[in-house]
Amino acid sequence: MKVYDCVPGLEFDESADFQVSPCWFQDATHSVPPWTPMFGWFWINFCRHGMQYGAELLSLPTVKGWDWRFKDGAGYLALLIVKDPAERKAREERFKVAIKPFVDDFPGMWKGFVDEMVGRYEKLKALDLDKATNIQLLENFEEMINTTRRMWEIHMYMMYGVYTAFVLFEQMTKQLLGIDDTSPQFHKLTSGFDNKSFQVDKELFNLAKKAHAMGLKDVFLSTSAGAMRNALNASQNGQEFLKAFDDFMEKEGGWRMERMAEINVPTWLEDPAPAFNVIKMSLEKGVDYSLDEERKKHEAERLATEKEVLEKIAPEQRGWFKTILTLAQNSAWFSEEHNHYLDLYAHAMIRRSALGVGRRLVKEGTIDAPEDVFFIIPDEVRKVCINPGMFNLRPLVSRRKADWQGWCERGNVPMIMQEGFAIEDAMKGLVESLDPIALKVVVGTMPVVRPELKADLYGVCGSPGVIEGLVKVVWTENELSKIVKGDILVAPTTSPSWTPVFSLLGGVIVDRGASLSHAAIVGREFGIPVVMNVFEGTKLLKDGMRVRLDANMGTVYILDK
Amino acid sequence: MEVKEIYWLKELSKEYNDLVGKKCANLGELVKLGLKVPYGFALSIKAYEHFMTATGLKEEVEKIVENERGAGLDIDKDVDRMIEMSGRIRAVIEETPMPPDLAGPITECYRRLSEEMQVGEVACAVRSSGAVSMPGQMETYLNVKGERDIIDHIKKVWGSAFTTRAIVFRINNNMPISWAPIGVAVIMMIEAKSAGVILTVLPNIGDTERAIVEGNFGLGESVVSGEITPDSFVIHKKEMAIESRSIGQKTKMVVYGGTGTTLCEVPGALQEAPCVEDREILEIVRIAKEVEDYFGSPQDMEWVVDKRFSFPENIFWVQARGAKFTKQEAGKDQEYVIDLMLQLFRK
Repeated sequence: MKVYDCVPGLEFDESADFQVSPCWFQDATHSVPPWTPMFGWFWINFCRHGMQYGAELLSLPTVKGWDWRFKDGAGYLALLIVKDPAERKAREERFKVAIKPFVDDFPGMWKGFVDEMVGRYEKLKALDLDKATNIQLLENFEEMINTTRRMWEIHMYMMYGVYTAFVLFEQMTKQLLGIDDTSPQFHKLTSGFDNKSFQVDKELFNLAKKAHAMGLKDVFLSTSAGAMRNALNASQNGQEFLKAFDDFMEKEGGWRMERMAEINVPTWLEDPAPAFNVIKMSLEKGVDYSLDEERKKHEAERLATEKEVLEKIAPEQRGWFKTILTLAQNSAWFSEEHNHYLDLYAHAMIRRSALGVGRRLVKEGTIDAPEDVFFIIPDEVRKVCINPGMFNLRPLVSRRKADWQGWCERGNVPMIMQEGFAIEDAMKGLVESLDPIALKVVVGTMPVVRPELKADLYGVCGSPGVIEGLVKVVWTENELSKIVKGDILVAPTTSPSWTPVFSLLGGVIVDRGASLSHAAIVGREFGIPVVMNVFEGTKLLKDGMRVRLDANMGTVYILDK
Repeated sequence: MEVKEIYWLKELSKEYNDLVGKKCANLGELVKLGLKVPYGFALSIKAYEHFMTATGLKEEVEKIVENERGAGLDIDKDVDRMIEMSGRIRAVIEETPMPPDLAGPITECYRRLSEEMQVGEVACAVRSSGAVSMPGQMETYLNVKGERDIIDHIKKVWGSAFTTRAIVFRINNNMPISWAPIGVAVIMMIEAKSAGVILTVLPNIGDTERAIVEGNFGLGESVVSGEITPDSFVIHKKEMAIESRSIGQKTKMVVYGGTGTTLCEVPGALQEAPCVEDREILEIVRIAKEVEDYFGSPQDMEWVVDKRFSFPENIFWVQARGAKFTKQEAGKDQEYVIDLMLQLFRK
């Protein structure tokens, strides 16, 4: 082990790791661009732990979770497949018992976890980091580590359970109804649910309504997000609005970052510019409608589709089909809601606690800037936290920072394969694992190129519909402000903190995604067409291009070639 | 309970079972529940007694039987003699005129039935109705019209208790050979547009929130016998919403022909048309729900839509009994779903 290792014990090592698996897949959804060392440490350790914990608790018959490695800021993963038939059989027996709570009372189980996590977050937030002693700071940091580990345990246990149900639902709709997860009808069945993420968006929308009612629309439209707080503070109405705004940010809205899987960008609480922008966009679009009613429209559509679908199923099959339908619907809203309570909130907690340590280290001369803490890892925090003044971490930080900049410039390869190993074999392994998460989030459905459609890009349907509009290619949340109503968002993938902008969009095109990725779920909630897995959307499409996307067919046409 | 020779169906109930037979008593029960049953009247076993004693037939039949037995009739071997004896008894019953003090009330009832239906002479079904089921209690004569024919067919039903099978049955069961009282139902013929069954439970999965209605054009026999694929509707009982409909290709239907029924082709244009209107389905469910509530358990009922009447007067009921169904075991669906999940890992 080198002193510069970011994730000791789990750094990618060719000679040893090809024995675990001849092929390692990059987690492009989360680790592009490359992670900072501290965040990488958390993800690799605990996402890995959570997956194995979840797979073991559920006793998934074919897979024991994923193994993860860290390499140049990227996460690489390989599946831990159960090969021995006897072991599979034994795991099957335990699975039958272990999966039961998901079928019996999923909402109750989830509520228990939400209460547990929110309790942990509140406890962490209770400490004033700048007044705390060094020991208290370290204790808070350790407790945050435990919280993150627990978050991943709940996260992956739940995810394995609900995705198993979702895959089953998909298979059943295919067999009984002849529709798969790329069919519009399929999506209608799983959308239109209220959930926490939606409620946060709704709160922001209500704040926009409030701003409108208080006569603050002009202030919002004429002010940049960065100058918004000062502008609002100039009037009494503005101050009153800010009070409500800050209150919401502190309570629940602000504990999120632009990039869900990273900690090096401000939370909304620290820098509310993204939230101001959302309010601004809503005011531009007009607030004379109700998000709730929009959602209810989708809900009504879902209920109608449910009816339609049930009619096609023989009466004696309906009992269990409805059980599966409910499970799949749970999966859909859980997929959206868990981001709020798990990833976004917990990662904001990492940032909060780590920056608290960072500020102390700066104060005592250990590092130069609070954000430098993202370039050290928890072992090093432990090493210095009680007596920071005794240590100098600057050389370590500057070396790691240089490494990180290099990773960002070079980027990482999508797969690391042993020589002589073909990509087809690698994909086969993924499919053979029957791992529901691998199937639903990582792999997705591969698009079928149908030359007779003469499309410029072929993908799969994430959310049904046909739309024309102007392309806006977006890589980071900062670029979201260029979006105007009716635009087609083109991105590598989308992140939960981008959700509010969906209400402005005409449609979405993403390079990668499966039926339970963010873009698909949110697209369905907002009722806008989403085409996924086009692979080269961000490469081929440019800002201002006029495109038609037919999500039903999974095609994209450039109209002004 | 007033003991009479003739009753209107609506006067009857379960307690009359021994007097008028099961079929009539059941129809009376349906009327009690507020169901509309085909109009008609019942002759009790008192009418049979009256007929057999007043005409001297009782002694005559006894004499025939005694003579045969005295001549060494072996019921197991002398099949021909049995048939001959049965024929003689039935002939003498059918040929003996109905005593006027019985014929009068029967004629009166028939006249009132015809008036009710606003026709000169209403076509009726004349059916046997026994207190317990035994041979000779299955006779049914359809399309019987006119006072004289009605009376003749009532006698035919009485005579039907002397078929060879019925006689052998009574001998084997130590019952009197020459005395076989039986009730008779005289019921107006339905002109069925369509008919079928309703179960106020989905029998296979025991879903008691829903009812299933199945039907075909013509009479209900084709639905019960399973000869065609009937129309099938699933209704949510609380919401009173038709949740699913499957329109079968109904190639054949059962209609009345002569004094029985025949299977005939359904006209091409109708084969794939629903045999009942939505409002009729919902009315059928509404009524069946009331019966279910009354008994506190799911029901299996037979309905007929009569084309001579307009909605909702056109829905008649001919049968109601407790439904047989698989009870929904708690967690059965859940267990099945878990088994399905397991299959996902067995590719």
